[in-house]
Amino acid sequence: MSASGTASRPTTGASASGAPGERELLERVKMHDLDAFERLYRIYQPRLARFLTNLVKRPQLVEEVLDDTMMVVWNTAASFRGTSKLSTWVFAIAYRKALKARMRWPDPLEDQQFDNRVSNDAAPDAELEQSRIRSALVDAMEGLSAEQRAVVDLTYFHDLGYREIAEILGCPVDTVKTRMFHARRRLRQALSGTLADWL
Amino acid sequence: MQDPTLSRAQPHHDAEELIPWYLTGQLDDEDLAMVEHHLSSCAHCRRQLAAERRMIDEFAQLSPQIDSGWARLRQRIDVPQPRERLWDKLRGQAAELWESLSRPAIATLAVAQLAFVVAAGAILLSLGQPDYRTLGSAPAPSSANVIAMFRAETTEAQLRDLLQSNGASLVDGPTAGGAYLLRVQASSRPQVVARLRGDRHVLMAQPIDGPAS
Repeated sequence: MSASGTASRPTTGASASGAPGERELLERVKMHDLDAFERLYRIYQPRLARFLTNLVKRPQLVEEVLDDTMMVVWNTAASFRGTSKLSTWVFAIAYRKALKARMRWPDPLEDQQFDNRVSNDAAPDAELEQSRIRSALVDAMEGLSAEQRAVVDLTYFHDLGYREIAEILGCPVDTVKTRMFHARRRLRQALSGTLADWL
Repeated sequence: MQDPTLSRAQPHHDAEELIPWYLTGQLDDEDLAMVEHHLSSCAHCRRQLAAERRMIDEFAQLSPQIDSGWARLRQRIDVPQPRERLWDKLRGQAAELWESLSRPAIATLAVAQLAFVVAAGAILLSLGQPDYRTLGSAPAPSSANVIAMFRAETTEAQLRDLLQSNGASLVDGPTAGGAYLLRVQASSRPQVVARLRGDRHVLMAQPIDGPAS
């Protein structure tokens, strides 16, 4: 899939997956180059942390699944043939690991990470407003299914196309589109009160 | 077979579905053309586009507080010791040994010494040393750091005295070639090796760094 869109793109902070640098690092990881693996880890750790936080709610479980994912990368790098993007491969591993973790550990009743993500401590008015918006967004995300959150996250945060997302989640392309469509509708409904001025 | 009642709404639905990937620049040319064509005539989708762009920006500000866990992960990583690298090192040591030979009497031992060094490398790889080591762990205290060979007539008592007087302990051996792997204090290794080389019972003594050192 070519990323040929000319629309202005949001600043998500996510780097394009499959960049030559990452592939070079993986080739070195195949040779058990620990420095290369650390660099690869530091590229993927924030991305996976964000992705997994939307899938498994317990911070310790996020760490565990993230580590398990990267251990699979370390141990099976040689099996990566390059037929897909590196990010597709890594996220697919993470998704499968997260699903297994979710079976072992259902979501807690309260989202413990919520307080970490949105802090209201001693914030000026503008920041309080911003914090309120973000709280609403987090709440809105909480209302989605795990599968919908995965699609939203991979689309909005990680700049992945729907075909690549389908590959990661192991589902048909139309399912990705449908999940995203319904997720957006639910997000809009959930945010309609808080963000009435721009929805 | 398409439902005729959907025919009018389908292009709108198809385009609306793709708005997120239009915003993130992840559409191929065909999808892109379809969405842009639809946006030009659909005010509803244009409003959605604007709202969704802002929503994406807001979402981008949300960052889970997950600290880097590299140190934690590293504890789980076993690095296979690259044998080629060790062999290179051993070959290098053998070459240095060759160059350092100054006594003609010992020169005849050079070939044998080379064989011992290489044999020791194989032993270091196979005896008491797993193929993998855990990073972050301290080198095993019993790792050999000297390889030595003694004259055939050396008695056990002489060997014991020699080791004790030099603070050396036997790690392994004898090898098939008759060499022994010793552990001496790292700080005094050069002196110990020098003393061993000067001892009449010692045919050869050479510093060596195994996989765990």
